Amino acid sequence: MMTTRVLAMSASAGVSRARWAWLAAGAVALLVWPLFVNEPFFLHIATLALLYTIGAASLHLVLRIGHLSLGHAAFLGLGGYTSALLTTALSWPFAAAFIASGLVPAVVALIVGPIVLRLRGVYFVLITFTFGEVVRLVFTEWQSLTGGADGIFRIPPPHALLASKRAYYYFALAMAVACVGVVARILASQTGRFIDAIREGERLAQSSGVPILRFKVMVFAIACGLVGLQGSLLAHFITFVAPGAYAFNESLNLLVMNVIGGMGSLTGPLVGAVFLTALPEFLRGWVELQRFLYGVVLIIVMLFVPGGLVELGRRTIALVREPEGRDA
Amino acid sequence: MTALLDVSRLAKRFGAVQAVERLDFQVEPGEILGIIGPNGAGKTTAINLISGVIRPDSGRITFAGQDVTGMRPDLLVRRGVVRTFQATTIYQERTVRENVRRGAFTTAYRGFWSTFLGTAGARAAARRAGEAIDELLSWLGLSEVADAEARSLPYGFQKVLGLGIALAARPRLAMLDEPAAGLSHDEANHVAEVVRRINREDVSVIVVDHNMRFISTLCHRIVVLHHGAELATGTPQDVTRDPRVIEAYLGTQH
Ligand SMILES: Nc1ncnc2c1ncn2[C@@H]1O[C@H](COP(=O)(O)OP(=O)(O)O)[C@@H](O)[C@H]1O
Ligand SMILES: [Mg+2]
Repeated sequence: MMTTRVLAMSASAGVSRARWAWLAAGAVALLVWPLFVNEPFFLHIATLALLYTIGAASLHLVLRIGHLSLGHAAFLGLGGYTSALLTTALSWPFAAAFIASGLVPAVVALIVGPIVLRLRGVYFVLITFTFGEVVRLVFTEWQSLTGGADGIFRIPPPHALLASKRAYYYFALAMAVACVGVVARILASQTGRFIDAIREGERLAQSSGVPILRFKVMVFAIACGLVGLQGSLLAHFITFVAPGAYAFNESLNLLVMNVIGGMGSLTGPLVGAVFLTALPEFLRGWVELQRFLYGVVLIIVMLFVPGGLVELGRRTIALVREPEGRDA
Repeated sequence: MTALLDVSRLAKRFGAVQAVERLDFQVEPGEILGIIGPNGAGKTTAINLISGVIRPDSGRITFAGQDVTGMRPDLLVRRGVVRTFQATTIYQERTVRENVRRGAFTTAYRGFWSTFLGTAGARAAARRAGEAIDELLSWLGLSEVADAEARSLPYGFQKVLGLGIALAARPRLAMLDEPAAGLSHDEANHVAEVVRRINREDVSVIVVDHNMRFISTLCHRIVVLHHGAELATGTPQDVTRDPRVIEAYLGTQH
């Protein structure tokens, strides 16, 4: 065990350089491919995937404080409806509506957070599930404001220049980098250190002076603000909002992205978001099969690779690099 | 000189059990106070009450001249009151250094925005905390294992690590719940040395234990608890000679 640790340490400098190389290669690929493949179908899926990395990363934040939310889509919806209403009914400029679409869910989270974040385990799961359903009911029933079950149509693009799929792809890319960057920065900062401390040992963290509830509420509000921004970007991309899009399914979707990708690090939800956005689109023809595959993949991951796709990838790389070093 | 900690008529009941009853004692600045008593005497409950983890039914706790009765634990830590736990309480899957860094919240953490933006102040605070922690690790005897995962350590080291997490908060009063329980003679001596050392650096200490020998060589004064109530208070010599103590506690132990 000691030797593996030493090996890991001597390799770490090289690993971080390799990591930067991978990041740079990835960035170039993300920027360049649409110049060669100007295919609306692929651009559409890629844009969706980018937008979902925001929501998945934001739910990752909530998971990191030790809470499993099944109501995250409610905040996605709050962002979407806010942006849709402000730009259509009130003709606000997109930039202002976009900011509001982050603020509204964040403020709602600041209000409900101090109540729900006191609950632990399954109680938190149940209350967030209920909250999600209540918000969906409000979207459906408050017809004069939300357009009821039909929702709101003809949401304008954020800017005339963003009317094309390719332009929106680049816009989504920039926004996803910014939002996921915020999450990454929080987790890498001192705040991230104490977020992990809270999850791993709440009582111990508290006895070191960490204000547990305040930390949780703050992180929860930031997460809900971020997923609200995704809601706005998504609404202006698909040009409509409707209650069905923010139902329990969608909350589960965001959660499954985290589970399948892996909950150990921020890479997990990013991989999960891309995987789970692309997979159903490519399986459009087999709707029945799609649900089935979805379930099978989820069960396999939970049973055999609790670290998700990220761990699967890591194991594969390790296996390729040193096939004999399997005793660790 | 006024007491650093003044506990007055503290009481706590759990259902039918009067865990702490009319407890009175003071901790003077610079003092090492022992609290001793058999299992179930109410020692841990007393620490829980003072550290704000549970609220007393009645009574008053004053720290540095201010009423802190029922104050939230994290706010008490800010004022300089920290505690350790009777059961080993560490971040199992983290390195020893990371464990202790997490203990330094009050000194290292400068708020969300300054850490998010990485301001000069936040970076300086983190760097200073890092240096202080290296020093702390070295005199706790944990430098050698600083990069090892906490769960891989032997029990004695884990116990010292728990102490290190508490001390990283730079307390004025440290309350240690059975810091030597289950330790070998040498390990217990090491813990006693650590306590004496922080005490020389002006930290007042409450040491809870049920081992009279450990407590009486380490502490300036001892409070003997019995069924939640104070049985006797005094110097180790006085207390060990007190007939009530001998009958109620030592008599049954030896
Ligand atoms: N949270 C609790 N709920 C119910 N009873 C408790 C609780 N904490 C302690 N007690 C009871 O209070 C008494 C004192 O316990 P404790 O303070 O842990 O004693 P000590 O630390 O001296 O061994 C015991 O009878 C114990 O069972
Ligand atoms: Mg105890």
